[in-house]
Amino acid sequence: MTELLMCLILFLPLLSAVLITLVLKRAAGTCGKLAIAAAVASFGFGVLVFAFESQWHGGVLLSVPWIELPGLSVGFGFLVDHLSVLMLLVVGAVGSAIHIYSYEYMRGDAGFSRYFAGLGLFMFSMYGIVVSGNLIQLFIFWELVGLSSYVLIGFWYERGAAADAAKKALITNRIGDFGFLVGILMLWGLTGTVDYDGIKNALSENPGVLGGLSTLTGLLIFCGAVGKSAQFPLHVWLPDAMEGPTPVSALIHAATMVAAGVYMLCRLSFVFLATPAWPEALSWLSAVTAPLVIAWVGGVTALLAALIATQQDDIKRILAYSTLSQLGYMVMAVGMIAPIAAMYHLTMHAFFKALLFMGAGSVIHAIAREQDIWKMGGLRKRMPLTFLVFLAATLALCGVPPFSGFYSKDEILLVAYGQSPGLFVLGMFVAFLTAFYMFRLIMVVFYGKARSAVVDKAHEGSITMTWPMVFLAVLSVVGGLIGVKHYLGAELAHGSVGESQWYLAVFAPFVHAPFIALIGLAAVVLGYISARTMYLGAASDPFPAGRALLARVLRRKLYVDEVYDRLNAVTQEAAAVFADWFDRWIIAGVCVRGAHGTTELTGRMLRLMQSGSLRAYSFWFGFGLVIVILISKSL
Amino acid sequence: MELTLILPEIAVVVIGVILLLIDLWAPPEGKRPLIAAAAVVAGLVCICLFVFPPALGEAFGGMFVMDALALFMKQFFMAGAVLMLLFCYVAYDRLGGRVSEYGVLVLFAVAGMMFASSSNHFALFFVSIELITVSFYVLVGFRRESVMSLEAGIKYLILSAFASAVMVYGIALVYGSAATLSFDGIAAVEGGLTDNAVFLVGLLLVTAGLGFKIAVFPFQMWVPDVYQGAPVTTTAFLAAVSKAAGFILLIRLVFTAAPETFRQWQPLLMIIAGATILYGNLCAIPQRNLKRLLGYSSIAHAGYMLMGVSAMNAAGRVGVLFYLVAYMFAVMGVFMALYLAHGNPEKDDIESLGGLHLRSPLVAFSMTIGLVSLAGIPPLAGFVGKFLLIEAVVRDGMSATGGGHAWLVAVAVIGILMSIYYYLAVVRSMYRNAPDARAKPVSIHVIGRIYLYLCIAGVVIFGILPGGLVSWIKGVMTGFGS
Repeated sequence: MTELLMCLILFLPLLSAVLITLVLKRAAGTCGKLAIAAAVASFGFGVLVFAFESQWHGGVLLSVPWIELPGLSVGFGFLVDHLSVLMLLVVGAVGSAIHIYSYEYMRGDAGFSRYFAGLGLFMFSMYGIVVSGNLIQLFIFWELVGLSSYVLIGFWYERGAAADAAKKALITNRIGDFGFLVGILMLWGLTGTVDYDGIKNALSENPGVLGGLSTLTGLLIFCGAVGKSAQFPLHVWLPDAMEGPTPVSALIHAATMVAAGVYMLCRLSFVFLATPAWPEALSWLSAVTAPLVIAWVGGVTALLAALIATQQDDIKRILAYSTLSQLGYMVMAVGMIAPIAAMYHLTMHAFFKALLFMGAGSVIHAIAREQDIWKMGGLRKRMPLTFLVFLAATLALCGVPPFSGFYSKDEILLVAYGQSPGLFVLGMFVAFLTAFYMFRLIMVVFYGKARSAVVDKAHEGSITMTWPMVFLAVLSVVGGLIGVKHYLGAELAHGSVGESQWYLAVFAPFVHAPFIALIGLAAVVLGYISARTMYLGAASDPFPAGRALLARVLRRKLYVDEVYDRLNAVTQEAAAVFADWFDRWIIAGVCVRGAHGTTELTGRMLRLMQSGSLRAYSFWFGFGLVIVILISKSL
Repeated sequence: MELTLILPEIAVVVIGVILLLIDLWAPPEGKRPLIAAAAVVAGLVCICLFVFPPALGEAFGGMFVMDALALFMKQFFMAGAVLMLLFCYVAYDRLGGRVSEYGVLVLFAVAGMMFASSSNHFALFFVSIELITVSFYVLVGFRRESVMSLEAGIKYLILSAFASAVMVYGIALVYGSAATLSFDGIAAVEGGLTDNAVFLVGLLLVTAGLGFKIAVFPFQMWVPDVYQGAPVTTTAFLAAVSKAAGFILLIRLVFTAAPETFRQWQPLLMIIAGATILYGNLCAIPQRNLKRLLGYSSIAHAGYMLMGVSAMNAAGRVGVLFYLVAYMFAVMGVFMALYLAHGNPEKDDIESLGGLHLRSPLVAFSMTIGLVSLAGIPPLAGFVGKFLLIEAVVRDGMSATGGGHAWLVAVAVIGILMSIYYYLAVVRSMYRNAPDARAKPVSIHVIGRIYLYLCIAGVVIFGILPGGLVSWIKGVMTGFGS
């Protein structure tokens, strides 16, 4: 029963993508409807799996043997437990909303059917990551997700920026994925299995089984998340990925795919419980452990991204840096071995960040694809519904009770408070920055006067765009109270955590740790007040006045891209120039042309025998006969 | 009783004679339907051969042997005959009003091949070769209006007669020393003749004559000129079907008549095979004429198959038979595509194939599939065939009696690499070069279309799922040879 449902969930989107590509390409409207039906049906089946929990017991279902070699056995199956079911629901809910929303948003685009085929492929790959029960299956879908992201970022491939962004995303992800693959191979080599359960058992029997490579393995596994979840220093692809259509940014580059790294880390969190150790030559690093590195990478990403976000002018880029910053929070939580907090924030973030992007898309759609916030203004009156849902999502993101983000962020800060004062202060400062840049956005876009005639005439999109937003708005508002943490806690922690009654849940943070909840709230209020005084009614950005250097550094995104360019020029470019020379002269020149020339010359010489003269042919026949007889005599 | 064993041969000859007789009174517009009817009847015989295989046994005092191998080869030749008659039907415009005459000669040649596959005696051996060859004299020079065709016919006649003379002299020498022409008889006395120079030279001369038929180095000189000059149907027939007749005779000679002697001569066969592979592939590289190129490449393929024979084991014989089947589908497809692509019979150069995929995607595709299979690239049948042949050589090299044939394997692999170069060069010029402005879209008769699909299907199916055919051939080969 559950097996069948899982099969349907996984393969329906693929089926729709295949049908669209092979059969229906010309009938755009049908393509859209088919894709929407597949997405919604998958979501529905996900809800059924969730509802009939008594049908499964948290293990790998329907494990079909795939590769059976001595020392390696890989199956294809569905891992069904609370973690994966929650993720299925998140992907299904946001995915369905985005599918419906896109039908209006993408209408009239020449690549309409290609778009929905890409979305189908993405949904298939993402579900695949969620249900994988072993590292090989995970890695395959991991790469498929990367591919579909590439396809969709470069959806408008005729635009140079989009094509470049797609390449950048793919290449940057490959760097992370290479480390991930090496990490997977090391885990396999050291424990002899690629199944999650197998590795987990091996580690719980003997936490030192990874030996001196333990920390290195943990960090290599983390590499995968650094790429996919866009952590510093591989974060550069995500802001550029905003070249893709806005619904794609909402689904893939805000809610689900970038969260895959965090999901993977939570899945494999047992790896980080191994006894930390370095090879002997590196023993001076013994103070550095994998979780520590992960937590600080997350924290630094959260901080830098929030800083950059304060000085961006493109509405989607602000949201993209905000995504980076929130992913930093989640990774930080994983590094502090708090997978519940990370997954909790992941879930809430999926709802409100997807909603923020859809709101931004709604604005962009209404004002002829303009993305510069300084050309908008006064949209509160013209697009009241968009304003309301955008505001709800902003409050959720900033962490204002009782909106969803408050509870999950509070959870992370609580863990940080207990473990690392440095990260706690950092987290609080990021919370302040978050409120600042988000209210800056709201003040500039929705308040003040309309800055152009197009903006003046803006109006809401049709019902297929607004209803998905309302659906996600509801989730963003009440997400913290519907027992997500409780559901996760039953899986990941021993005993119950969190309040199961919603009315208790509203005030839970203030009851359990009032100090942290109140400081968090104060940071938000401070951010709001600064943004309001600075940006309400401003015609241009007042921030650079008196802070020109800081503003320029932030505008140029801390010069990370420039540094990478320089670095590329002296390393990869130089290597490429040498490789090109080597290929041109040594391989193509000496080896290939040499071999080709020799063979061709031999062929031409042999052809001289083929004179066409009958007498010569007869002579060669006789001559050959003599040779053959002579050879046979010598045997 | 004995006549029932040769019923298939009788059927083919009767069809041929009836076709010849009807042709006398048939009006010009009736010639094409006539060849179609012949193809249908031959097809029925072919189906009967598969569905109701004749009883096995010996006839005419052991001269004619009907074993599983002979049956397999007869089925093969009959299928080849059907393909050839269909080819004639499609290529009607090349053969003109004498098309039924052409079909009759094809049928007679096939009858010769069927006798050849059963021959267990030097008399039948020689007569069947002559039946094949004499039919081919006419088939090669069939386009009397073309100087090239006539020249090819004359060259083939003289060189072939030379080879036959050498062969019949060899047979005489063997008879003189062994006092028998029966293969079984020779095998019985062979042990006492290992030092008899007359016997050995006689056997070598016979082998050289056969080497001419299958076109191995150094007896291959006739191939390029004849392949280029002959009508495209004849070239296909020579390459795909007549070569198979040569190989079945060689297998009978090597493994039935004088297994001990040829075991001694294994290095000689291997040297010939290696030289043939290198010669065929090297000469093909600079070729610009496609028929000539295919001629050289057919020399190379003969080398691969001789390599299988020289492995001196059952695996090698299985490989040869599989290779023949794979080769027939690929070559027939390529020649049909070649015929369809070139409107002008005198123009067979590779350049004029430019942009073929625009003129007819199907023709370009089947040509590509055929060439790629000939090059031995997986997952097509040609790859499996080469794999089986090389595997047989390696296996013999590792067995107790063999002695490391690494050099031959290396030569084969180098040859395959070279062949990939020139086959893919043809494919490249088809897809990359611009079409000639005067070239018209190709119109394909529905039979031609089916024919191409059939060839593609054969190459692809035997490439992806070779298991069935291989185990069938293994069954055929059990009980054959020592």
